[in-house]
Amino acid sequence: MSCAHSREVLALFIEDDLPTVQAERVRHHVNACRNCQQICQQLQKSQSFIKARLKSPFYVSPSPELLNAVRQTVLSQIQDERQTLGWGVKIERALTLAFRKHGYAVAVVAILVIISASLLGQMRHSLSETHGRPAAVFESKNMLLRPERYREWVFVGSSIGLEYSVSHEMPTSSTPDSFHNVYVNPAAYKEYAKTGAFPEGTVMVLERVRSEIKKEPGLHGIYEKEFIALEASVKDSSRFQGGWGFFDFTDQDGKVKAKTQALSDGSCRSCHEERAETDHVFTQFYPVLRSARMES
Amino acid sequence: MEHEPNSTAMIQSAFLMSRSPDAEPLPETLEIAALVRRTLSGDSAAFECVILRYERRVVTLAMKLLGTREDAQDAAQEVFLRAYKYLHRLDLQKPMEPWLMRMTVNVCKNISRKRQRRLNTFSESETPEAFPADKSCDPYTEILEGQERQMLWKALNSLPERERIAVTLRDIEGLSTAEVAAILESSESTVRSQVSRARVRMKDAIDQMMGGEK
Repeated sequence: MSCAHSREVLALFIEDDLPTVQAERVRHHVNACRNCQQICQQLQKSQSFIKARLKSPFYVSPSPELLNAVRQTVLSQIQDERQTLGWGVKIERALTLAFRKHGYAVAVVAILVIISASLLGQMRHSLSETHGRPAAVFESKNMLLRPERYREWVFVGSSIGLEYSVSHEMPTSSTPDSFHNVYVNPAAYKEYAKTGAFPEGTVMVLERVRSEIKKEPGLHGIYEKEFIALEASVKDSSRFQGGWGFFDFTDQDGKVKAKTQALSDGSCRSCHEERAETDHVFTQFYPVLRSARMES
Repeated sequence: MEHEPNSTAMIQSAFLMSRSPDAEPLPETLEIAALVRRTLSGDSAAFECVILRYERRVVTLAMKLLGTREDAQDAAQEVFLRAYKYLHRLDLQKPMEPWLMRMTVNVCKNISRKRQRRLNTFSESETPEAFPADKSCDPYTEILEGQERQMLWKALNSLPERERIAVTLRDIEGLSTAEVAAILESSESTVRSQVSRARVRMKDAIDQMMGGEK
């Protein structure tokens, strides 16, 4: 033990506050060290002085008047306190007391309440689309309103200039075509992942985005520039022949319309019928949908 | 003047009871448990019995920690109101006293901090009342001891809060390190460290006040 750092240890030693093993070590040192002996004596002196002056029986006990004042004040305030206990404390108290009386029964009820609340939350989440506003909203038989907040849906994939063509020649243009970003409504995604079939009410949204080539020193590649078109397909067997309707929300000026009629020329439908892998949907090009099926 | 020579023994017995969870609760603990149950079902008279049982301990500890009757009274009132509010949290298998002591320390800390802010703002002078002179001795000794107590109070009050509370509980209340640790919800080694530093600081302060001796 270093004498230079021992005053605090000695302050414990003189009052028997050190653990036995450490106390023995200190005692051994103090017996051989005059400096520490002197410090111990000084500390003992100050401790004795403090105790003699401040310890019982020299402190004054509180007077009966003081105690009575405390008691009366508390008892009078308790009446108000009972009414002003917050809801948190009231619920905590009720649960604590109920648990003390009925123990496990209350615990089981509490667990059931928590599980029910959790399930209800999940059901609300999953039902919100079907019981709230559906993904496809029609103003008339074939007039579809532009889907809202579709960018919060499931993004199933993107491609560049991917289109079926009647020509069998390879394209020669070096300018890339537009990006096709495709989304599906979450309820349909879940159903497809589960069963492999798209349910009635499925909505696929396709955003076309102009592509741009970047070729600069230290930066090159293709990126999405501005949105140029918005299209959608809806599965609704009661409205459309073949089960699916196809829509283009882009007007001649390139602006996106708030609503649009179903396309009537059948060009989209025929291609989707013939070439799409799953029920008019090109799942062969959408890795997100493929992996969803594999994971389910 | 009333003395309370058995108060420390009372606390210690309460702590000993609290340390043996497998042991049967003592009659006093059972009695308090019954009073607590009655209080929780709306019987104010039962809570008055609880206050009567512990008011002296709470006020005395508050006086030692705060130094004035006025603050001690405020503290005690706050402690019993808090105890009433959170009575359902009390483990009825354990004695109530350590729980109340812990609450008293916490309330006193808050009051002490408020008072410190008030003193800093208004430069009020503090006059400790918890340690007056022993009137059983002659007038000269009475004055001298009174001054010494005032001096010790100032030294005690100049300690950092944690050290002051730990050393008050250990050296003035006479509780064991384990009991102090339980009240302060701290470890024994932390309490030992606080107490040791406080003792050294108190010794230095006393030396300085007694004439600069180190």
